[in-house]
Amino acid sequence: MSRKTAQGLASTTVMAVAIASLAACGGATDDGATTDGGKTTLTFAYMGSAEQQEMYNKLFAEFESENPDIDLEAQAVAVNNWAEFFNKISTQIAGGQVPDIIQVATEGQRMFASKGLLAPLDDYIAADQDVIDEYYADIDPNLIEWNAQYSSPDGKTYYLPGDFNTMAMWCNTELFDQAGVTLPARGEDWSWDEFEAAAQAVKETTGAYAYAADTGYFIGVMPWVLTNGGSSFSEDWSTPTFDTPEVVEAATFVRSLVEQELAPVPGGTFDQYTAFAQDKLACFGGGRWPVINIRNLDAIEKTQIVSWPVNSGNGSPVGWNGYPIMKESENKDAAWTFIKFLISEGGSSFYAELGGQAGPARRSVAESESYLANSPVGTEILYDALTYATPIPSPDRGAEVQAVIEDAWQQILVGNTSPEEGAAAAQAALVPLLAE
Amino acid sequence: MAFISPAMVLFIMFVGGPLLVAIGLAFFKWDLLTPAEFAGTNNFERLFTDATLRRVLLNTFVFAFASVVTHVGIGMLLALAVNRQMNKFVQYWVRTAFFFPFLVSWAAVALLWKYVLDPSFGIFSHYLGRLGIEAPSWLLDPDWAMASIIGVDWWHTIGYTFVILLAGLQTVPRSLHEAAMVDGAGPVRRFWSVTLPCMSPTLFFAMVITFIGAFQIFDPMFIMTKGGPGDTTRSIVMYTYQQAFQAFDVGYGAAVAIVVFLVIMLVTLLQFRLSRKWVHE
Repeated sequence: MSRKTAQGLASTTVMAVAIASLAACGGATDDGATTDGGKTTLTFAYMGSAEQQEMYNKLFAEFESENPDIDLEAQAVAVNNWAEFFNKISTQIAGGQVPDIIQVATEGQRMFASKGLLAPLDDYIAADQDVIDEYYADIDPNLIEWNAQYSSPDGKTYYLPGDFNTMAMWCNTELFDQAGVTLPARGEDWSWDEFEAAAQAVKETTGAYAYAADTGYFIGVMPWVLTNGGSSFSEDWSTPTFDTPEVVEAATFVRSLVEQELAPVPGGTFDQYTAFAQDKLACFGGGRWPVINIRNLDAIEKTQIVSWPVNSGNGSPVGWNGYPIMKESENKDAAWTFIKFLISEGGSSFYAELGGQAGPARRSVAESESYLANSPVGTEILYDALTYATPIPSPDRGAEVQAVIEDAWQQILVGNTSPEEGAAAAQAALVPLLAE
Repeated sequence: MAFISPAMVLFIMFVGGPLLVAIGLAFFKWDLLTPAEFAGTNNFERLFTDATLRRVLLNTFVFAFASVVTHVGIGMLLALAVNRQMNKFVQYWVRTAFFFPFLVSWAAVALLWKYVLDPSFGIFSHYLGRLGIEAPSWLLDPDWAMASIIGVDWWHTIGYTFVILLAGLQTVPRSLHEAAMVDGAGPVRRFWSVTLPCMSPTLFFAMVITFIGAFQIFDPMFIMTKGGPGDTTRSIVMYTYQQAFQAFDVGYGAAVAIVVFLVIMLVTLLQFRLSRKWVHE
């Protein structure tokens, strides 16, 4: 499973990818670039489940009311992860249906830009420098630096860093209270050993599972590896480092949680959100996105977000959204208007209030009352994590890389292979994927 | 000509045309996003050096062979069991019960069985545990994953084979059975000398159709195991899809698709050739 699987996306039909356009806008246009009665029709493709579409539609309605001359035609692509999203978008582009703007997460930014399909934003940025300066002054400098370092293959700017996700533990305070365990507050750390002891206490006193061991690259693999001082790839993403002692030790630790039955065997049908709401699960890993499910399950009150347990030091993967304009777009100005809306304080806080599937990049919004209302205690930790996070290593053959790592992690956690052998086999499979 | 033209248009659009395009694509390197480049016979040469392809071919042959044996073998036994004098209600109920799973889509069947076979919460492991048997982790165990899928596939599609074989069984003339009985043949003898020869065209059809279907298997692997653990349940059609749409190597995906086409064609020709020896005209 991957990051987005945890959002409870409807994944039943798997191959079938639902494309829903806004009810008011009718069908998609063939060339993605039309004007209708003086209105510019702007097409935007993003990743969103049925639940998220509802939330996004409100955001889009807000944009249209602010910009009455633009008709925003949004296509939500309901898929399980970024790899599937890029498959879908690539197939659509190959079929000649090129949206004006798409949502691209870190996992695909460099790959997408390297295909020569995107329009550089540098001229727009120069023309609206004051807008960008104001935005950049309000976001964590790491996001700006990482975006420059990882999202462009040629030094031009194709993406502005947008809403992001880091990883933390979502904890059920009722279960921890019953077990007599005090959760670390914001700014405090807990070690892997303390986490394991807490997990055992929860299991003994309540019978609940302590942790939903996910095998997703972002959600289940990297948080453990990064809090142990390792990573899946070298800093420039050119060399796999999946057989290092840090990775093996991380895998050994998570395997021991499964072995002690503190976590259910991953790869099955365990529904973490429902189990959490029913007090049958004490912790699961997540960024901002679980907030929609947890709200729907009416479990915000008993949820506390806690930083990821550490072994060698704080760590978290981070991925952020970019909203590039396609080179073929005939509505680039309208597209830029939409991007400016997304990064504006108004657009950003409106989105943040609705729940969102990623946290706001603007610090002012992330610390605002409206964002923190109806969110778990400790939500601020997701922004704090930007100070120690690592951009999710995303080489160009991302889908295959992710599949190799997730399969290896799963086999280790299930117990089919030892952590050493599993990590070495993954490393051996990753090397040729990076070689070409 | 006017009568067949709508059919011809559909055929050219959805079958003949795509087949030609797929053959053409196999000579190109194309990632969907940037213009295709002519690649000569590179993609075909790669077929011979690709170790994963050998693995997925083997997987698919194992699955197809197991599928033919279990469907035709057990389907035949089921058809024989039902094709006798019995209460009409029971007869219809049994037939419907066996055919029913076939009406459910693969996606629903795969998800349902993923629950049944869950190592922590599945009823299979639960009841085996109660009997004191430690169950494997089924779909997550490299030694059991393919066997589990073969079992689920059997449950899902046996109804179809069963109905075909039952229909075939009902065409065997009663007079031949009666004549054999007059000659003193017992039930076993009558099965081998009367039922089986009369059934041979139906059996042949069932074998060919089951093999063709099984060799194209995709859905249960994609939904239940994603081809894992490792490559143990990756089928060749799934590999085609992954090459084309995950590795963005459409040309090589097309080359693998041609392999699927050729294998099915050759095995079907072989079956027709062998059928001369055993199928009763």
